[in-house]
Amino acid sequence: MERPIAYDKLAREDRLVRMRARDVAQFKIEQGLPPFPDLLSRDSIKERVHGIMVGELQAMEGAGRTVYDFPDAPWEFTMDMARQVWDESRHVEIYIRLLEHLDGYIGEFPETTILWRCACAEDAAARVAGVNRGLEGLACDVFNQLVHIARKMGDPILERAVDYVLADEITHVRMGSKWLTRLTEGDPERRRRAIEFQETIDERFNLGGIRREGPHELVPISIATEARREGGFTDEEIARLIKTTQRSAVY
Amino acid sequence: MTHPLAGHLEVDESAKTVRHYRYAVERMTRILAGWMALTPELSAKLLMGRHVWDTAQHADAWGKRLPELRAAAQVSEPANARLAAFLDAVEAAERPEQTIERVVAIYRVLKPHLLAIYEAHLASANAVYEPPTCRILTRCIEDERRHVAAGETILRHLLRAPEQETRARACEARLWRLLEAAGGVTGAGPVARATAAAAPPAPLSDDAAEFIRLEQSAGTWPIAPALAQALSGFGDALIADDASAARRWLAPEVELGPDLQTRLRGAQVSRQSIVACARVGEQRLVKLRLDGARDGVTLLLRWVPSGSDWRIAALQPVAAAPPRPA
Repeated sequence: MERPIAYDKLAREDRLVRMRARDVAQFKIEQGLPPFPDLLSRDSIKERVHGIMVGELQAMEGAGRTVYDFPDAPWEFTMDMARQVWDESRHVEIYIRLLEHLDGYIGEFPETTILWRCACAEDAAARVAGVNRGLEGLACDVFNQLVHIARKMGDPILERAVDYVLADEITHVRMGSKWLTRLTEGDPERRRRAIEFQETIDERFNLGGIRREGPHELVPISIATEARREGGFTDEEIARLIKTTQRSAVY
Repeated sequence: MTHPLAGHLEVDESAKTVRHYRYAVERMTRILAGWMALTPELSAKLLMGRHVWDTAQHADAWGKRLPELRAAAQVSEPANARLAAFLDAVEAAERPEQTIERVVAIYRVLKPHLLAIYEAHLASANAVYEPPTCRILTRCIEDERRHVAAGETILRHLLRAPEQETRARACEARLWRLLEAAGGVTGAGPVARATAAAAPPAPLSDDAAEFIRLEQSAGTWPIAPALAQALSGFGDALIADDASAARRWLAPEVELGPDLQTRLRGAQVSRQSIVACARVGEQRLVKLRLDGARDGVTLLLRWVPSGSDWRIAALQPVAAAPPRPA
């Protein structure tokens, strides 16, 4: 098997329409819609849930590739990534069921592959920094807010299921924090490159100011500072992320 | 009567066997993990996703057993070069259209064989001084039985036509010959395989039937009547090779292009079907599949509402899976 695979080799059933995130955003802006679905209506929540479902699919595939692509990494690293594959595969199921719960279907919205592209980094340290800290950190932000909104809407199915997923994601962030340190021990240059990669991803997923600090009801994606702390982000890192959201380019 | 302290393996032999198990199981874990991204079908993808963690835990348990047998921890060792070649052959099925080969390789060849050798090992292990090994074998047997049963369920879902059954049998026979040539995972032959006859009912967390249900949960696409009419009219025009009729549905800046027209003619398209319909606000991204005697072409169309009508604002051919047998 090829190792690593090119990002465009990601295999999908025909019913999913794959499109660049920037094109999808552009088509929405042209129609006077926000580029990223808000949480103000059941329909926009459904679109957000669909986006999370394909994100979980890509996270499962990305963690799987990490198991395969790095046979010389420490065995404990492989075990953590294999565990993540299992978690993500359950998350895919959870989000498909939530999509059904919201009267949606797989393929109702286009799939963007921005997450998968990030999961194709060639260095294991960069991959865990980018995926486990950058993307799973974003997942903590998104899920924390979704739990809050679901509670407010009085939807216990959505609230409970997403809260369990959030607990898993915090574990994945913790794994990322642990392996970023261990894999780069004695190699500050490798660590610097990995963190730089993570910051690129953080910047990209600030989505031009859509992610920022603020109340769940007022901010499209609010930064989950407590969940991030539980995942091993330092106060300094959280403060730096908040600062970057204030200067992110418009989407 | 056999003495209660009689055994069939020396400590060193036991460690070697464990290293052989670990080699096969570790490689299986990595192969399944690597394949998920290359496998289009959701049911097979989820099956692999669920089983990667079980098999990683098996490899881990075998690896942790090794120091208890005076050997280095977490070491894998192939029984021989032919066993490594067998696993290379398993791993080679990486094209998207080879899901059947992937599932057959793991769920009809490797796992049934592992199940058979684990059961044989458990039956012959000494109950007094080998319980640590027996505990691992018991867990592996339970999981492998469940996995084999789940894999068979997914295969029944994937095998929809006689030629696919033929492909599956050919793949199974070819890999089985390679495994036999290696003398199995331990190299000790003869090579046996077990069935999942005694598999317990699958818990909800890895129920293959449920994966199939999730894969099929799409139902029908809610397409507005005016768009359905536009889609049908556009598809009919392409099938009739009537470019001017097809242009009726295109926005002014969109062209069919001579390459696409040549491709459609070459494929001798005669049937159309919608294979995807995604929403972007009021716009619709539709995959229209056109199949013919020689080939098929799938087009991704971005439809934009225009008054009470619809127009195509973008059009491009995209890669698609071969048509599935009914």
